[in-house]
Amino acid sequence: MATAGPVLQEHGRSGQWRGRLLRGLLIGTAVLFLGLMLLVPLATVFAGALARGIGFYREALIDPDALAAMRLTLVTTALVVPLNTLFGIAAAWAIARFSFRGKNVLTTLIDMPFAISPVIAGLGYVLLFGAGGWFGAWLEERDVPVIFALPGIVLATLFVTFPYVARELIPLMQMLGTEEEEAAISLGAGGWTIFFRVTLPKIQWGVIYGVILCNARAMGEFGAVAVVSGHIRGLTTTVPLQVEILYNEYNAVAAFALASVLSLLAVVTLVLKTTIEWRTGLRGRH
Amino acid sequence: MTAGAYHAQDEAAMSIQFEQVTKRYRGVPVVNGVTLEIRKGEFFVLLGPSGSGKSTLLRGVAGLTGIDHGRIALHGRDVTFLSPRERGVGFVFQHYALFRNMTVADNIEFALRIRNVPAVRRRERRRELLRLVALEGMDERLPSQLSGGQQQRVAVARALAHEPEVLLLDEPFGALDAKIRGELRRTVREVQRRLGTTTLLVTHDQEEAFSLADRIGVMHMGRLLETGQPQQLYRQPATRFVATFLGAANLLLGEATAPGVRLGRAVVYQARPARNDAVAGSEVVTVVRPEDIEVTRQRHALASSCMGEGVVAEAAFGGGGERLLVQVHAAANLQPATRQEPGLHPGLPSGACLLEVTRTAAESMALPLAAGDAVAVGLRRLHVLPTPVSSFLLRASTAQAVAALRQSPLVAQLAGSTQANLAEVIAAGQPAGAMFHGAGVVVVDNTDRTPADVAALLLHGARRLLCVPPAAALPRRVIIHCPDEALQAEAMGLVASLAGHINAEVSFVSVVPRGAPGAERAQALRRLLDTRAVVRASHGFDLRTEVLEGEAGEQLRSLASTPEPVLLAMSIGGDRREVETALARDVGWLFAPGTRSSLLLSYSGPRPAALAGVL
Repeated sequence: MATAGPVLQEHGRSGQWRGRLLRGLLIGTAVLFLGLMLLVPLATVFAGALARGIGFYREALIDPDALAAMRLTLVTTALVVPLNTLFGIAAAWAIARFSFRGKNVLTTLIDMPFAISPVIAGLGYVLLFGAGGWFGAWLEERDVPVIFALPGIVLATLFVTFPYVARELIPLMQMLGTEEEEAAISLGAGGWTIFFRVTLPKIQWGVIYGVILCNARAMGEFGAVAVVSGHIRGLTTTVPLQVEILYNEYNAVAAFALASVLSLLAVVTLVLKTTIEWRTGLRGRH
Repeated sequence: MTAGAYHAQDEAAMSIQFEQVTKRYRGVPVVNGVTLEIRKGEFFVLLGPSGSGKSTLLRGVAGLTGIDHGRIALHGRDVTFLSPRERGVGFVFQHYALFRNMTVADNIEFALRIRNVPAVRRRERRRELLRLVALEGMDERLPSQLSGGQQQRVAVARALAHEPEVLLLDEPFGALDAKIRGELRRTVREVQRRLGTTTLLVTHDQEEAFSLADRIGVMHMGRLLETGQPQQLYRQPATRFVATFLGAANLLLGEATAPGVRLGRAVVYQARPARNDAVAGSEVVTVVRPEDIEVTRQRHALASSCMGEGVVAEAAFGGGGERLLVQVHAAANLQPATRQEPGLHPGLPSGACLLEVTRTAAESMALPLAAGDAVAVGLRRLHVLPTPVSSFLLRASTAQAVAALRQSPLVAQLAGSTQANLAEVIAAGQPAGAMFHGAGVVVVDNTDRTPADVAALLLHGARRLLCVPPAAALPRRVIIHCPDEALQAEAMGLVASLAGHINAEVSFVSVVPRGAPGAERAQALRRLLDTRAVVRASHGFDLRTEVLEGEAGEQLRSLASTPEPVLLAMSIGGDRREVETALARDVGWLFAPGTRSSLLLSYSGPRPAALAGVL
């Protein structure tokens, strides 16, 4: 007994030390990788944007084309996010509360934009609404521009950001159950009262969380929008498209300046998202 | 007072009325023909194991779940098709279901806010309710800041805010620990007494039911088996299920005799006749409560009638009392009415019978007993169940055929649910003598039999005969056909005892000849309704009724030709020729290979003893 104790202890200590080393190594690799792949490029964006001083940076941002791009992005987002929020709440309600035929099909359809490349989505809209598309001639007769105009950009963005709110709410509503709503029914409440007084407050943080993710994606979308926009400067270029145009014209500083706006937006989103996770205990679900 | 006026008054005194309420999930009835009336101001408890349909029934009252058939009325007003908000009930959920984003005050005032009650009145009512549930001063708390017991008190207050005429509680104490549960139980009982609100509570806890209920209704497999005051249900249950679900019970097989009941070698005299029309000599099921058994060292010391002698197998201290397991020697010839699982009591000698006995602290102090002590066992009181299903006897010509019968879905379901004994007889050909005299239900395979075989079995004493096609699935419908009114009562008793153990809907069918005059049809319908009333009164069991036109055999056959198998129940009487003719005419199609319907026969006719000479 007298000898066994220390031997065991020594063995344990060396095992512990090895475990700690392994852990350190893994964490180190992850941090290094993230730093190289994520933080360094982000930092270069800001460094590049400020390469010719703050004056040039400001000028690049108040350039009329840049301002038009920002306006277009904001208008698109302002249309897309509320629409997708409404859709997301409705879809989540239907899926979490009712059982009906084709429920699985609906769930799969909601997830489809995750699986399909945005470029293909954009192409689909061009084939539908473009000059030679199915509805192209009909739309042209009535002088309703879709492709290479705002409606096309909104449609493409809608498609890509379709799942964000719904995907956030479906598991949340399933987890929270329907007892509170049933209690409200038994107390005599009607449908709208139940929705606004009971259901919405219950899922509000989930909605906000989904809206933030949807918003970030709507502002940053490139692929689908690139196909349907036609890159008409000052008219149909969103911020990501404008960044690409400037970069292709070797106007790197202006490109970086606009890119930094998007990056800032990303940082703000990240902070909001983390705050909400912290507030509601949703942490760890994404 | 005219009969009509009396009836109207009667209706008004009823707070909740269920009439033939049925709810199905995917074709299977989860609430099955429930008819029940709850009086104004009554505290009624629906008791049953999980999955018995009690919560579904409760949700049906609130309108949270729709029903497929039947009628629900609140205070004489039919609410079957009213929306939940028009019903004016209060509902308390098992997991409280408080609005998590609202304070206690807002939760309680919710129903009043919806009804646009002014703020001053709301505050007043809230104070009153919080005092009622002993939560004064908690107004501004959020549900997450309260304990489970406190949350449920808030839920009760919230459900009472709009002064509902009916309060419904769905397992309200299920999520709480024992001590809190007791406190809350007292609160709920007190609130109910003070407000006089009709209350319907659902639980699976019999102790809870006993301590709260004015009346209890026991549910099993979607059916309301029995209703009554707690004491009445405990002392005089009508069904096996209620006897064993409400407290501990020893179920023993006995034999009805002229002076009383024979249990093994002992005859127990009963001052009051058993609620059983069983003729002398037939097998009966008796309920012996553990506290009704007396144990002494010596036979002569017994103050009650002696059942036999045995040894103490187990003695366990249980706080206020003591629980003994007494192994009664084979010499006493006691027959348990429930199947004894072979592995459950290893070392139990064959023929011996285990009895559960409880003794008060005073009794165990007067006579301390330990495992191994020899004792004499006496019986202070017993109760005879009115069920004709005392045991099952499977009869077939080969061991394989008997095994097939035993494994058939219907037999397996009945045996598993009733826990009744299954005996087996392997015999070929026609029975001889009165071999089934006094037996329970005889079970045979109808795919390899003819009406003549069946008639022979009935006349040899198999007065309750179940013919099962071994391969058929469980029947989803029971159809009762009793052409002869005089034979109806016995068939009904048999169906009522068995239908509680299968998930099937029961309808009572009368067939009148095609083109019969209206008066005849009307009379048939009246007869059906009378039967329904009688069955409800004597078996607590509700039926649907149907009048068909045409020839009985043809009509029954078309009723049975549904995708789901059917159990056809028939009463039959008369001599051998009459029985054979009736079987061949009405249900001859059932005796064919490939049939999927089962047949339950109840025979009333000359007893085999009288026939012995003739045969």
